[in-house]
Amino acid sequence: MRSTAWQDKTDEIDERRKLALRQGGEIAVRKQHDKGRLTIRERIERVLDTDSLREVGPIAGSGERAEDGTLSFTPANFVLGIGKIAGRHCVVAGEDFTMGAGSPNAAGLRKSIYTEDLALQYRIPLVRFHEGSGASITGSGGKKVQTLPGAVYERSRFESIARCLGTVPVASAAVGAVAGFPAGRLAASHYTVMTRTTSQILTGGPALVERALGVKLTKEELGGAQVHEKSGLVDDVVEDENAAFDAIKKFLSYMPQNVWELTPRGAKDDPVTREAPELADIIPANRKRIYNMRHVVEAIVDHGSFFEMGRKYGPGQITGFARLSGYAVGIFASDPKHNAGSLTAAGAQKLRRFVDLCQTFHLPIVTFVDEPGFMIGPDAERDATIRHGASALISVALSTVPWMAVLVRKSMGLANYAHMPSGCHVLAWPSAESGALPVEGGVALAFRHEIAAAADPAAKRLELEDQFAALQSPFRKAEAFSVHDLIHPRETRSRLCDWIELVQPGLAHQLGPPQFSFRP
Amino acid sequence: MADKTITAELAGRVISFSEIGTQVSAGDDLILIESMKMEIPVASPAKGKVKTILVQIDDMVDEGQSLMVLEI
Repeated sequence: MRSTAWQDKTDEIDERRKLALRQGGEIAVRKQHDKGRLTIRERIERVLDTDSLREVGPIAGSGERAEDGTLSFTPANFVLGIGKIAGRHCVVAGEDFTMGAGSPNAAGLRKSIYTEDLALQYRIPLVRFHEGSGASITGSGGKKVQTLPGAVYERSRFESIARCLGTVPVASAAVGAVAGFPAGRLAASHYTVMTRTTSQILTGGPALVERALGVKLTKEELGGAQVHEKSGLVDDVVEDENAAFDAIKKFLSYMPQNVWELTPRGAKDDPVTREAPELADIIPANRKRIYNMRHVVEAIVDHGSFFEMGRKYGPGQITGFARLSGYAVGIFASDPKHNAGSLTAAGAQKLRRFVDLCQTFHLPIVTFVDEPGFMIGPDAERDATIRHGASALISVALSTVPWMAVLVRKSMGLANYAHMPSGCHVLAWPSAESGALPVEGGVALAFRHEIAAAADPAAKRLELEDQFAALQSPFRKAEAFSVHDLIHPRETRSRLCDWIELVQPGLAHQLGPPQFSFRP
Repeated sequence: MADKTITAELAGRVISFSEIGTQVSAGDDLILIESMKMEIPVASPAKGKVKTILVQIDDMVDEGQSLMVLEI
């Protein structure tokens, strides 16, 4: 039954909804597309399951009716909603760059502030798309309107951002120029990506930098992909926005909805008894030769399940997720190609973050160890390697998730503690060698006088190296019950799959928030 | 036939390289660089012939430094 009074109002609801979808208008939207970037509504649509978006505050904004009755409506330049990814709920949000370059208008600011609260309230993951430089000096009212400064009772904006990190998975993407407050928020995530050619991340943009430091650099030079791929600010650089959506979805597939749940088990279509015969001679007999550690990982985990994160930062350490018999796990492996797999300052920071991430969301960690020790040398000292190293070691030592260490080749010195906390289950390969120092360095140091005094110093050095290499043999460790077992490499998968079943009940008993809060 | 410059993927010391004139296939080791006591091979990107060698044994090279030119 139609009621005339309410009909006007419901018609206006529809009108405002329609106007809100126009975002900054046709010209602004076209400009965005011309620059190779999608609109926020397009991004949200593509990352979510079809038709799953339930927008929150879709007609927040400001409206004005002209004398002739036409409604002009400026929507909030921030889009916020709840949708589904792979059938699981999440909050999705981001700046609308087609209006005021994403600098929040009054309604946009309110939705922006509320984003993390929404994820906290419903205990679901948060996906943020960032583009824009945050607040303008003119405030959210624009150049003409003076807004009041915040009141003393208002909460710090960073409080909810921080609390989210200890509660639900947070994945962010830089999909345009991101500076100021949005840059801080972008970094305050569990997983962050940026697009290769269409995004930059900056604490302050070129105008600010020139004013403060007298240095003239473009956005790209200051904070483009080539800078941040290696700086550690982002986990990964992706080729384009579609790749960003894929990366975010992939990341979330290894995560639970929140810290009170475990990641759902995936398909069990890779047999747990699968042997990987190629592992038998993947480690070269020549100790100085490198091999492809990623091939080792991929041969052992469920087919196609390895998802690496942060490859270009701290490249000597490989971190990522995978599945074993369908169960999600964290993977930490040494890459002998980079500094022989030595733990650098960057690698230690990446590791610390990664361990904290697995601890927060209750993922067991499997580590493939070829660890020669912490990085040495003048650059390593300038980078305060051992301080970052200690930070990583502390995270590892206090982690309560189950750990499994597979000693693939070297496991040396202090850095061993980065791989094997108390209670770690340890399996060694025949190629495993362990000790306080790699044989060459250790012998050169401890026996330098004997070697120098010998008739044939080179022969003497080799004789000593062989002698100490024998002491580092894995059989000695197996005899002493220093490892849980010494195995054929091809047995590794089935051992790991047995173990992953075993640890599930204990994991379920650990659910809840972490004792610290995740710090990126 | 085109010239292809092979660059170092990482910093280290040159240990050995294939001689001028050597025919190589894609994936063959062209140069061995030592870094942190490990021997890291630089592989050929394609089938070709070693044309010019730009470094000597024991040279310390930087990441991105040109090492040799292949005719491919």
